[in-house]
Amino acid sequence: MSLRRLIGFNLLSAVVLGVAGFYAGWWLGHQITGPSIAYFSATNQNDIALFVAYLVGVVGFLVGLGFANYPVQRLLGKPPTLREKEQQGAARYFGLCTDHKVVGIQYLLGIGAFIFIGGLNAMLIRFELMRPTHLVWNGNNYLTLVGVHGTMMMGMMTSGILGPFANYFVPLMIGARRMAFPRIEALTFWLLMAAGTILMTTFAFGGFPTGWTGYAPLNEQANMGMDAYIAFFALVGLSMTLLGLNMLATVITMRAPGMTWGRLPIFVWATVSTSVLMLLAAPVLISALLMLTMDRAAQTSFFNDQAGGSSYLYENLFWFFGHPEVYILALPGMGILLEILPVFSRKPLWGYRLAVTGMLGIGLMSFLVWQHHLFVSGINADVRPFYMLSTEIISLPTGFIFICALGTLWKGRIRATVPMLFSLAWLFNFLIGGLSGVFLSDVPSDVTTHGSFFSMAHFHYTIMGGLLFAFFAGIYYWVPKMTGYNFNERLGKWHFWIMFLAFNSTFGPLLVIGFLGMPRRVVTYAGYLQGANDWVSVSAFVLGASMLIFLANLIWSQVFARVPTGVNPWGSKSIEWQLPSPVPVHNFDRIPTFGSDPYPYGEDAGSMLAQRPVVSPARPTP
Amino acid sequence: MWSRSSDGRRIAAITVIGTAIVLPLVVFVLGPNMPPGKATEVAKGQVTDNTVLLVVMTPFTVFILGYLVYAIVVFRAPKGETELRDGASMRGHMPSQIAWLVTTTAAVLFLAIFGTTELLANNGAGSGSGPNPVAKPSGAMLPVQVIGQQWEFTYRYPTYGGVETAELVLPAGQEVAFHVTSLDVVHSFWAYELGVKADANPGVDNVAYVKPTKIGTFQIRCAELCGLWHGYMFDTGRVVGAADFNTWIAAQRKQFAGVEKYLPKYSPSYSPDPTFRAG
Amino acid sequence: MSELAHHSTDYSVVESESPQVMARNLRVASQLWASATVFFFFAFLFAYFYLRSLNSQHLWHPHTVKAPVGLGTVITACVVVSALAGWYAARRLEAGDERSWRSAGIAALALGLAAVVLQIVEFWTIGFGPTEGGFASVFLGWTGLYILFVLGTMYWLETLLATSFRYRGAGAAGHEPGEASGDPGRTGDDIDRPISLVRPGAGAFAFYWAVLAVIGVATWLILYLL
Repeated sequence: MSLRRLIGFNLLSAVVLGVAGFYAGWWLGHQITGPSIAYFSATNQNDIALFVAYLVGVVGFLVGLGFANYPVQRLLGKPPTLREKEQQGAARYFGLCTDHKVVGIQYLLGIGAFIFIGGLNAMLIRFELMRPTHLVWNGNNYLTLVGVHGTMMMGMMTSGILGPFANYFVPLMIGARRMAFPRIEALTFWLLMAAGTILMTTFAFGGFPTGWTGYAPLNEQANMGMDAYIAFFALVGLSMTLLGLNMLATVITMRAPGMTWGRLPIFVWATVSTSVLMLLAAPVLISALLMLTMDRAAQTSFFNDQAGGSSYLYENLFWFFGHPEVYILALPGMGILLEILPVFSRKPLWGYRLAVTGMLGIGLMSFLVWQHHLFVSGINADVRPFYMLSTEIISLPTGFIFICALGTLWKGRIRATVPMLFSLAWLFNFLIGGLSGVFLSDVPSDVTTHGSFFSMAHFHYTIMGGLLFAFFAGIYYWVPKMTGYNFNERLGKWHFWIMFLAFNSTFGPLLVIGFLGMPRRVVTYAGYLQGANDWVSVSAFVLGASMLIFLANLIWSQVFARVPTGVNPWGSKSIEWQLPSPVPVHNFDRIPTFGSDPYPYGEDAGSMLAQRPVVSPARPTP
Repeated sequence: MWSRSSDGRRIAAITVIGTAIVLPLVVFVLGPNMPPGKATEVAKGQVTDNTVLLVVMTPFTVFILGYLVYAIVVFRAPKGETELRDGASMRGHMPSQIAWLVTTTAAVLFLAIFGTTELLANNGAGSGSGPNPVAKPSGAMLPVQVIGQQWEFTYRYPTYGGVETAELVLPAGQEVAFHVTSLDVVHSFWAYELGVKADANPGVDNVAYVKPTKIGTFQIRCAELCGLWHGYMFDTGRVVGAADFNTWIAAQRKQFAGVEKYLPKYSPSYSPDPTFRAG
Repeated sequence: MSELAHHSTDYSVVESESPQVMARNLRVASQLWASATVFFFFAFLFAYFYLRSLNSQHLWHPHTVKAPVGLGTVITACVVVSALAGWYAARRLEAGDERSWRSAGIAALALGLAAVVLQIVEFWTIGFGPTEGGFASVFLGWTGLYILFVLGTMYWLETLLATSFRYRGAGAAGHEPGEASGDPGRTGDDIDRPISLVRPGAGAFAFYWAVLAVIGVATWLILYLL
């Protein structure tokens, strides 16, 4: 590789400028705090310097990627162009690229890597819990592992499905050639990569003890590793807001002729509902984290009850974001489920309107339930019946999703392909997750289950059993379209069965362990729970090992075996499966016209297209 | 259509028979063994509550799982069928959608009303209900202040001269009002067998009521992440007879008499130092 | 090969989206971004009333903390007048009057930047610090972040004005309908003509700036007057 190709706006310059920016900011921060350094010397802690370092580092990273070119050009009134990055081939994947299909694959690999790190943390946590007392990690390391695992998963998985699959397939599904704001689309991805890297730096600054919820005032007492948590979640929040905005704008404005709201694929509806939550909930998170930043760096007292603030304020703001957040995680999974079931039952989606109502209803209701996380906290205890009611009402739209899934299976011709297996497992896991949630929504039961392993197992059933299974369903279903190469079916089935059984063998017992009185996030536990915990740990290791089968399958089938996918291996009637694999850069020669939704199985219409588009050369005259 | 077809009848039969088998097991075998046990009235109420939730869930669970298994077995495409054949084109079925909506709504409303009744009838059901709960037990109460601090709980008995002890001992048969507060970060006071959980927030008096009836010990754990030694923040409390309690508290007062004058005056919450700044 | 598309690598097809679609994108985005902004400041609104109602340790609002009402009123007035000027400028551009758009736009820009400068002056002379209770925290955090939003919006206005000045002679009118996007259903000029996006951009900007000004007035009412 020649030197010329290394210099320019690419990942290498981004990393160099990011690191340089970090140290420049670190130096600058110490200059700013110079006069008051006496204050910090007592604790050897300089939060201002670290915040400035992260800020300058992220800016440097983005400048290195080339994100500054466009704003600077616009400042001078120069014309906008998408042609900032016209490399061919693999180089496109290592830099700023505005092609929504490249961004989708970038998301898949980038987020996959961070999820893998989060999963490794879980393995280390489970290793510690094989003994009721101290085994390997000291208190601080253990809590940091717990915190990084939770924060990484909750932050990265928000875009876990929307990032790869919505970016790649929503424009195709609605008949567009691009997203409404392609540069913002690329930005959301690279912000996440910067954020994930920042979160990993917490180990260099002593970690953070608060878990992913980061409750005040522990978060103000914590050492500098806490700043990594704040910077991570703020960047993720920004990425989520922009992703939601971009998705909504795309679906509202870029739909092709004939693609009415009533014909949108259900996955696009799930994306819309998720995007609304992202757009409105994430800014509240950013606000809360900025308040926390000010508390830590400028000594304000938002969350400090000794000086006119309140730790309740943080809990309220965090969960006002936090509950929509968990539906940001769940909804895309429902979308994938209902998108895949019709294909492998060879039936139209049953109760399309009900499913859409369910998704929008979940989105709306999720803003009204946040205080159920605070049932025993003493906040507004008299309004708990309202939150109990609203929380239980949210199971109604969730029930819509279930009945639509069951109705779609009715008298279908079910084929047990790997994506279908993951979808059916979704139904089982989410059922357990939903039912265990009822205990948490009921105050008398919540007294036992709140803050215990029961609630931890509950949300792993909904998020891991729901989101991650849907994520894998999406991977096995769509990645052949994205790369052009099939997965190995046999390895896929091994992966599925081991993952499904190990998952239930891990989290099923955890529900019981929680009921028996084991709190979350503890490094020690009662001796009589050791047998159960050892069982869970071993199951968790098997669960982790099943991911290695997936990795082997990914590398084997996509790098070595390379069996071509062809246009439509699943026999789907959705439009993305009428395109070549992988999809060409411009998506469509001509913008298609739609005549139905993508589920005309058993109906006269052969595909969802109203008319066969005329084949024409791809390049029009400029 | 689907409710009249033989498939529909079979799934209905699976649901009814399955529920008929599972429900007695839930009520008579699983229910009585649900946590948190029968040491207090509040805990008994929670066991009832857990059982009722299970009973309501049972038919739904049996229906969905039965349907799933039935669908996977019966609606499976024949093995070796290579040609793709479409299933019936059904885009919905209003009566079954309405039936589902009505059933789930009824269940949800029942659960919400039931939960609210249990919450109020059991005086907050052992949950931390803020400084001034609406539902209070009548009659004399023993106030016990639980002070969360990194990383232990201490207990003050304001009716016994505000003595602060490191051990929680309660008299049996006496209604107790826990006043939970914190000196530093958020903790959560979880007395498992008593069926009590209340967050300890700095500057807040969080009240939970319970009436221990059974003499014995109970576990206490911190249930909210509170920093470095959170995992080691546990303790064992005791419920003793009234006479034993009086002996114990007198001994405690004697033992801590020298410390008593250095303690701050009893108050619903404490601020160690108004100029204290975290961070 | 499928009937819908053939393999080729050409960004220019992707790029040639019709300005009508781009204009809708901008309008929709400004509405969505405005709603996100409202929720962002909603957190501070909530913090204000929540901390005020709790008044923990009676340190919500010590008497020494006094919001500088005079300066605050001037800042808010600058923002409101700038928003009105922006609205007027966008209306004039819609009517095809590019000269008035540019002059009113410059006035709006100057007023917005004046608000930023005055806010910095206010922080410089404010007489209380972030450590002095809940109100001081909310006041400094809210106004500080608000003025960052103002600064960002002024950057947006500047880009529109800069494009407008650079392509002064080109004219916003004069469409060249064609199959630029390779789609007979979509007509309009190409985004190779940046001037075609200034008009919808100005409309989108004016909407967002008006929303931000309303938030500014609410800020003023709550932090300075209440």
